[in-house]
Amino acid sequence: MLALLIFGGGLAQTTLAPALRIGNVTPDIPLILVVLLALRRGPEVGCLSGFATGFLQDTAAGGFIGAQALTKTLIGFFIGQLGGRLWVREPLVQIPGLVLLSLAEGLARYLLLQVFHFPGAFGDLMLYIVLPQSIYNGFLGAVVVLTLTTAERLRGGIPWR
Amino acid sequence: MRIRQFGLLVAALGVCLLLLTLQTRGEGTTAGQLVGFVTTPLQTVLTKVNRSAVGVWATYLDWKNVRAENHRLRAEVEERQVESLRARDVEAENGRLRRLLALRDRLPLATIAGEVIGREWGWARSLVVNRGRADSVLRMTPAIAPEGLVGRVVEVRSGASIVQLLTDPASTVSATVERTRTTGIVEGEPRGTTRFKYMARDGAAIQVGDLIVTSGLGGVFPKGIPIGRVRSIFDRGSALFHYATLTPVVDVARIEEVLLLTGQTPQDLVAHFSTDR
Repeated sequence: MLALLIFGGGLAQTTLAPALRIGNVTPDIPLILVVLLALRRGPEVGCLSGFATGFLQDTAAGGFIGAQALTKTLIGFFIGQLGGRLWVREPLVQIPGLVLLSLAEGLARYLLLQVFHFPGAFGDLMLYIVLPQSIYNGFLGAVVVLTLTTAERLRGGIPWR
Repeated sequence: MRIRQFGLLVAALGVCLLLLTLQTRGEGTTAGQLVGFVTTPLQTVLTKVNRSAVGVWATYLDWKNVRAENHRLRAEVEERQVESLRARDVEAENGRLRRLLALRDRLPLATIAGEVIGREWGWARSLVVNRGRADSVLRMTPAIAPEGLVGRVVEVRSGASIVQLLTDPASTVSATVERTRTTGIVEGEPRGTTRFKYMARDGAAIQVGDLIVTSGLGGVFPKGIPIGRVRSIFDRGSALFHYATLTPVVDVARIEEVLLLTGQTPQDLVAHFSTDR
């Protein structure tokens, strides 16, 4: 189930994300999935799901294989570590939280690629790609969390933390 | 537990860094081939799934757009149809009014144009015209159309008049055969037709297609207003009179406007009407 979810998440970026495009901005669905899995299942699942979805993204995108795998592995691991201490039921936390995480991921990826001489202007990348995507991720992530919380409440299960 | 977690993290990061390093050092070919060996089938599947999903989504979007466009176009077509019908109606009305106005200008007597605002199509056959006492309409005022006689006013109200149609069973009009000057009476019939009766047997020489016009006798209708054409003749042999059924020149069922003749003239008016002879 978990493998399917991770595979589906990686797949969603090439299938669902273009359909969710607003202007030139698409959400980073695997990142949202990694964060959600890490919060629920801890650092190991966060780390593995980050690696797998990032790897799938790198493979599908045809860029540097390993770049997104690395940043998402880190994100998954650290969110998994912090999971127990985070209160993410409120949209006021979810939206800025995901925006910040997306920004951090974008920044980390940029820095990593700089080591490998990636030719891209920092300002343009941040302004036109990373920042709009981060904001989109924030809102989409909040919608997903709220949907999951409502679904769990209706089923009478454990509420989303 | 903690060691395992960090071990996993380090391993994953290590693989990533190794892949990146191999790619940037130009040894990416081998690394790429290695990765490609694993990922190419996956990518192929992904691309296929992606294409089908995107295709389905695009088809759905197209369908949705086509549907919306279809709705819009249907509404537009309906709007155009209504506009077209309205325009056709206005055009027809325009034509009728032009012909009425032309008749009004040709006639040598005073007239008032009136619009039909009601119809009675039961036992009595009549029209309600929007001209009444305020317009100096009097009882027995003849009502005509560009083709000929419609009837006469039998009741005048403040803002409307009731016009008894030729086809009303109680209607009688003194008439004459235009060609032979044979006189008789045109009566309405309960089934909505008219009949020309009381014409003398001898010397009538009436034929199918003859035009029957008002005779001017009786002082109600001016002379020469077309009433109808002979459709059939009934000769009862021994009877003193025979009769003919008529096809009215005016289609009273579809009439929308009439002219009320408020003046009188001794002239024969038949030349002023457009009768197909």
